[in-house]
Amino acid sequence: MTTPTTPTKPRSLSFRTVAQLVALAIADAAISVWVGRQAYLWMPPQASAEALLVDDLFGFLTTIGSFIFLGVTAALLYSVLFQRADKYDISDGPPVEGNLLVEILWTTIPLGLVIWIATYSYQIYDQMAILGPMEHMNHVPSLSLMPSAEAATLPAVPEQTPIEVHVRQWAWEFHYPDQNIISTELHLPVNERARLKLISEDVLHGFYVPAFRVKQDVIPGSTIDFGFMPIREGRYRLRDSDYSGTYFAANQSTVVVESAEAYQQWLATAAQQPLTEADNRAFREFTKLGDRPISAGWKTVEPAPPPRVNFASSEEDSYE
Amino acid sequence: MSTANLDPTLNTHSAHAAEHEEEDHRMFGFIIFLLSESVIFLSFFVGYTVYKTNLTDWLPAGVEGLEVREPLINTIVLVSSSFVIYFAERFLRKDNLWGFRAFWLLTMAMGSFFLYGQAVEWMGLPFGFTDGVFGGTFYLLTGFHGLHVMTGVLLQGIMLGRSFLPNNYAGGEFGVAATSLFWHFVDVIWIILFILIYVWQ
Amino acid sequence: MSNASLDAIAAKSDQPFPGAPNNWRRFFSFSTDHKVIGIQYMVTAFVFFLIGGLLAMVMRGELITPEADLVDRTVYNALFTMHGTIMLFMWTFPMLNGLSNYLVPLMIGARDMAFPRLNAAAFWLVPVFGTLLMVSFFIPGGPSQSGWWAYPPVSLQNPTGNLINGQVLWLLAVALSGVSSIMGAVNFVTTIFRMRAPGMGWFRMPAFCWTVLSAQMIQLFGLPSLTAGAVMLLLDLTAGTSFFDPAKGGDPVLYQHFFWFYSHPAVYVIILPIFGTFSEVFPVYARKPLFGYRFVVVSSLIITVLSAMVWVHHMFASGTPSWMRMLFMFSTMLISVPTGVKVFAWVATVWGGKLRLDTPMLFALGGLVCFLFAGITGVMLGAVPFDIHVNNTYFVVGHFHYVIYGATVMGIYAAIYHWFPKMTGHMYYEGLGKLHFVLTFIGVNLNFFPMHPLGLMGMPRRVASYDPEFAYWNVIASLGGFLLGVSTLPFILNIVSSWVLGKRAPANPWNAIGLEWLIPSPPPVENFEEIPIVVSGPYGYGSDESLVANNPAGELISEHS
Repeated sequence: MTTPTTPTKPRSLSFRTVAQLVALAIADAAISVWVGRQAYLWMPPQASAEALLVDDLFGFLTTIGSFIFLGVTAALLYSVLFQRADKYDISDGPPVEGNLLVEILWTTIPLGLVIWIATYSYQIYDQMAILGPMEHMNHVPSLSLMPSAEAATLPAVPEQTPIEVHVRQWAWEFHYPDQNIISTELHLPVNERARLKLISEDVLHGFYVPAFRVKQDVIPGSTIDFGFMPIREGRYRLRDSDYSGTYFAANQSTVVVESAEAYQQWLATAAQQPLTEADNRAFREFTKLGDRPISAGWKTVEPAPPPRVNFASSEEDSYE
Repeated sequence: MSTANLDPTLNTHSAHAAEHEEEDHRMFGFIIFLLSESVIFLSFFVGYTVYKTNLTDWLPAGVEGLEVREPLINTIVLVSSSFVIYFAERFLRKDNLWGFRAFWLLTMAMGSFFLYGQAVEWMGLPFGFTDGVFGGTFYLLTGFHGLHVMTGVLLQGIMLGRSFLPNNYAGGEFGVAATSLFWHFVDVIWIILFILIYVWQ
Repeated sequence: MSNASLDAIAAKSDQPFPGAPNNWRRFFSFSTDHKVIGIQYMVTAFVFFLIGGLLAMVMRGELITPEADLVDRTVYNALFTMHGTIMLFMWTFPMLNGLSNYLVPLMIGARDMAFPRLNAAAFWLVPVFGTLLMVSFFIPGGPSQSGWWAYPPVSLQNPTGNLINGQVLWLLAVALSGVSSIMGAVNFVTTIFRMRAPGMGWFRMPAFCWTVLSAQMIQLFGLPSLTAGAVMLLLDLTAGTSFFDPAKGGDPVLYQHFFWFYSHPAVYVIILPIFGTFSEVFPVYARKPLFGYRFVVVSSLIITVLSAMVWVHHMFASGTPSWMRMLFMFSTMLISVPTGVKVFAWVATVWGGKLRLDTPMLFALGGLVCFLFAGITGVMLGAVPFDIHVNNTYFVVGHFHYVIYGATVMGIYAAIYHWFPKMTGHMYYEGLGKLHFVLTFIGVNLNFFPMHPLGLMGMPRRVASYDPEFAYWNVIASLGGFLLGVSTLPFILNIVSSWVLGKRAPANPWNAIGLEWLIPSPPPVENFEEIPIVVSGPYGYGSDESLVANNPAGELISEHS
């Protein structure tokens, strides 16, 4: 028995539906905020000022992303579980072809969201003041359309001779011009903005220290100024991030961030040491051809001989 | 409804219509193809501009610049051939086959003159294909364009030959229209190229 | 006089349908029937999918331990280069071209494509350049080892010194693939613009055709840029020019611009027809009209336009000034708006429907969830500061595999199952289909989810060996990779056995709306006995409106059967 006076599906949203929707949205938001907090744990140690900024941005993106992902999948899951047709029901669903208001809403809200995310990312980028290949040391990128961001900008680059980062197939070499030191390990003083000149001697490479969250392709034929701010003492992995040929994966090194005193002491010690041949994994593997399970015998670009340096470290050394 | 199919006159009629439509499709498709083709040139032009504005030692050692006089004559010949081919097409539309052939042949001659002039210029240049980015881009741009001119002349030759088939061009000819369009396209590309390479030094 | 035409009709209906057992040879001929060509494309592409998948499984075998101990490093580099190349140029593009080839003329009510011979020629280039790529495994020095981007200077190094080397063959194959794609694109755009049945206005056209149109327009403006870059790279490699060689004054970053100006939009060439598939599949199995049809189809065109303005986001860590990074960050994020419109519309289509969870619906739902996840990580990648950390790491690899396997391959499976009865005239086995879905969905997430934490931890992509802290997630990913390999087995079994033995399919097994469902399965050679006259929109579920004013199948199916 149906009573024709009570419509089974009211056109306007009832109070009950609105309350349910709000409750669901709050639950979704709560879970998303929690997931966004977890995001910090998925990252390497925060060893630079840039890392703090990037992780904040990632946490924010994760929160928003989780909110959308959970919301949409929950709706789909509900449909799949509770809105299935009965086995012999061949009738159609309601012929709803659209709803202009809803469609305009889900165009404009994401648009607003995108503008928000882009603006926030822009501010973070501005604060990081990363020097790209087109910028030069003496003027910090003058992106700042927003004066508010200016206040938070990290300390400007101090005048000092930049450390030269030489990369080739397949070795990293760090030149300290003032002390005339060559090293296969990059030593940096903590809490002082690092200044680097990135130089590739053959192909594209990438300077990448995950713990610093900074990365820059090293482009042959141009010298790239690069800077960041280490804030935590420790040993970190430096990786080649742009595919550079056969031994690309073996092209790794270590960055050591230490106190100003320890740094000065390292410089003094290293300057005393004579040039010796460093260990180089690519070269070692290339010369020791025996133990390869499946080799097609394809010819490769030969690795450069191991660098001769004042201070050598091995790839096997520990790091965080 | 299905009885309509049994009417033979209707069938032949729609067959005719279909043939005409196919012709239309071909022109439509050809224009799309040309639009796409123009992006290759656009890419080369952008590349040329980027190199020219960014490189400090742009010209190879010992090269002062490019001679403009002969290429300018070449340009005038190629650009005016676009008008000649237009008249050829008009003759065809008026069913004046000999007028069409005469002007069409003149276009071919002008295109061949352009190619000849280009070859003479290439012979006399003090730099080669591998002489830096300047040499590379110069020969790439002029060569790739020259390839198009050559294709245009070849197509024109085919269309000219086909005009001798009896009644071949009675109902208008897609090939002629397309070749002519292609020729205008090659011309416009050359004008841009001339400005980029010769005028902007 | 009427005898002649009666005979003609008799002759016509005598012609065997494609897929008829006595007629398999036509699939090996230079046929100009768009349906035969479509199946040729799809089967060829699937063979290459298996090859590319095997390469990937060897890679996952290498990556199951941190050391480079399974294959030589040169072999590993060749593997990922060829895996990427094959999966893009020999699997996804031909597969989607095949699907579009089969479906577009049927959906718009045409008897064939606009240029049938061009169509066949475009297809036959696929085995040609496929062979070229495969041959490169057997020449001295092996295939290209510079990654599927072929960035110079690595791609110019040519350690063998031979003129015929892996990189040259790679460039020739990519160039031929470009020629084939342009031929296809000209054909599709012309067909969709000019051959729609009477009454099929733009806003009565199925969403799938809209997405094919949008995708093929991208091919037209994008591919020439790749061609230009490839020609210059080839000249550098063989003729001694110095366009991209920094040692001789060239600019390697310019190549990156040429490459990504096409290769980013290429992602939309791939995903747009999948969007189209979702838009076709959801209404059928939810029994509801596509929600907000106009917004959905117009957003495809907006994606086409925006796709031309986002390529630099692949180069945020490369030689790009800050203003460029910021500009392209914004345009990249903007593309999530029209994409979001589609996702929300699909959810609204499914919501409140009467769902039937047949295999195509399962794959479409699974694909949608994967796409949603990939879209979210995509916006994250658009944010420059975060991208600088994860650029060129496994985070990116995870992201695009969710797009390309999670959304695209699952979407392709959805399309294959959905239209399989139409294409072959046989029903597939539902149980095997569901098993295939479960294996694929688990495999995708097992294989590609772990790549995200790996990337966040800083594992670069394309490495043959890695530091031990990455081992845990890599083992899981490898297991997922092998599971994905296994997941193709029930699919192959299903397709082969049901094509031969499966139950006969009726004209419209899903009770779906669309011109292709009004004619027999498989469709006769020229598709429509009578060109349909379209009188209503494409998704009239739940209403009694008729789609056409006549019976396009003529006598082959009487009106009331």
